Amino acid sequence: MRYVDAGYSFVLGILFLYGAHLLWRRKRLTRDVERVAAASAREEGE
Amino acid sequence: MWRDGLLVAEKDLRIEARSRVALSQVVPFGVVALILFAFALGPDRTQMARGAPGLFWVAVLFCAVLAVQRSVSVESADGARDGLRLSGLDPAGMFLGKTAAVGVELLVLEAVLAVGVVLLYGVHIVTPWLIVVSCLLGAVGLAATGTLYGALSAGLRVRETLLPFLLLPIAVPVLLAGTRIWQAALASGVASDGTPWLRLLVVFDAVYLALGVVVFGPLVESA
Amino acid sequence: MSAPGSIVVPAVSERARRLERAIGIAALLGIVATVCLGLWVTPADQVQGDLVRLVYLHPGVAWVALYLAFGLAAVSSLLYLWPRTRSLFWDRLAAAAVEVGVVFNACTLISGSIWGRPTWGVWWAWDARLTSTAVLLVLFLGYLALRRVPAEPEVRAKRSAFVALFAAVDVPIVHFSVLWWRTLHQGATVLNPDLSPTIHGSMAWTLLLGFVSLTLVFVWMLLVRYRIGVLEDALAGRELDAALRERRAEGDPDGADTPADDQRTLAPLDQREGERVAVEAGSAVLREGAR
Repeated sequence: MRYVDAGYSFVLGILFLYGAHLLWRRKRLTRDVERVAAASAREEGE
Repeated sequence: MWRDGLLVAEKDLRIEARSRVALSQVVPFGVVALILFAFALGPDRTQMARGAPGLFWVAVLFCAVLAVQRSVSVESADGARDGLRLSGLDPAGMFLGKTAAVGVELLVLEAVLAVGVVLLYGVHIVTPWLIVVSCLLGAVGLAATGTLYGALSAGLRVRETLLPFLLLPIAVPVLLAGTRIWQAALASGVASDGTPWLRLLVVFDAVYLALGVVVFGPLVESA
Repeated sequence: MSAPGSIVVPAVSERARRLERAIGIAALLGIVATVCLGLWVTPADQVQGDLVRLVYLHPGVAWVALYLAFGLAAVSSLLYLWPRTRSLFWDRLAAAAVEVGVVFNACTLISGSIWGRPTWGVWWAWDARLTSTAVLLVLFLGYLALRRVPAEPEVRAKRSAFVALFAAVDVPIVHFSVLWWRTLHQGATVLNPDLSPTIHGSMAWTLLLGFVSLTLVFVWMLLVRYRIGVLEDALAGRELDAALRERRAEGDPDGADTPADDQRTLAPLDQREGERVAVEAGSAVLREGAR
């Protein structure tokens, strides 16, 4: 039974961690993109 | 296509004959690898004899990577690649030519290493034609896949580390088949065991040769 | 490209956002349900005992990795290479599928190994399926490694697509050779991985639920990863533009260099000279032949 627990923990753990990582990456990138877009909009406005 | 192929093969082989890189660097590397394997497997002759086929092919695979690197770097000097493209040569012919050149180099290498294996590892070959055919087919397969991946990674600074990582997994069937055929050709093996593997090698070679002929054009016309 | 320094990113529609959220929630619920059913509700197998519970996860991740993810990557790559359907959409889809597929592939190997330890007594066995899966993992790690090399999107897309194509062609050959390797060799102990549980009733449903949930997880991850690809390309494109503008501002007329060329090797000068002579000799052969 220990093996089953280990198996479930590893697989689900990896999937959850990767999923969280994807969400974090997307959030960071959208923030960067918005920042860049805002900066260039300011540039154009000047 | 065939004429262009012969031209390119002749060019590559002539360059090799002039500079003798494969002969002076790649083949010795193969021999050194064989010697290192002998140290790794220990002095027990039966153990070495049993591992010999596999070690032969591993050495060939590593040397094939070097040979392909060489084949690619020949063209990166001074825009020779662009010159080649603009020369109007049939890309399929270019692929076949480069494959043939690398194949010939690999055959020479395999001959030297085979002699080395017989001498150093004490193997007894019972069915030599199996050995010869497997070396031929293996060389073609490695050359074809190598030329494809070489072209893919040409012009990249990370090619030295990336090419082995890309090419060697693709070459696994050659390693498996070659090893099995050699084992069948030895005194301890059964010759008929080798035939399905020969067929596998033929399929592998046919697939990658055909793929290369079709795909080499679009592959090299990058930015 | 519009005004300098601006960034072009297609927006995500509200409907797409809701769909993604729905899939994510469904996937999460499915996984939770599978775990509950798998670990507690379903009975242990007569032959395998509790180990059978891993069967609710392992074939599922394997199916997703091997067929769904890499199959999708191969098809997408082909669609990118085909001139009529060429679009960076397929390239980004393939990249997303490969990255998620590699994660699932790793899960396949780990769950298979954990299942194998009490069954065969070893953490790893060179049986046909594990070995082929390992080779597949390495092939697609190579794909990801190649993608990291900086290049224009179209160049990178074409390179990656070819790698995917070559790898996809190799997979069946590797599979058969490894299978023969295990079974044709005289005297090999053929490890039987198919200690098939007598699946019935609740076990069958849980197995199905596992498959479906993991597929949903894959789809959700694919969507998020695809979006990440779009954002990364947009940012990278802008960085490239900014770099080019700086170069031009500094008075470099040929600001269109890309750093990806390795034409200048580090070989010593006389060796390069020797090679140059050799190459010229070769070119002479070509010129004569082409006349």
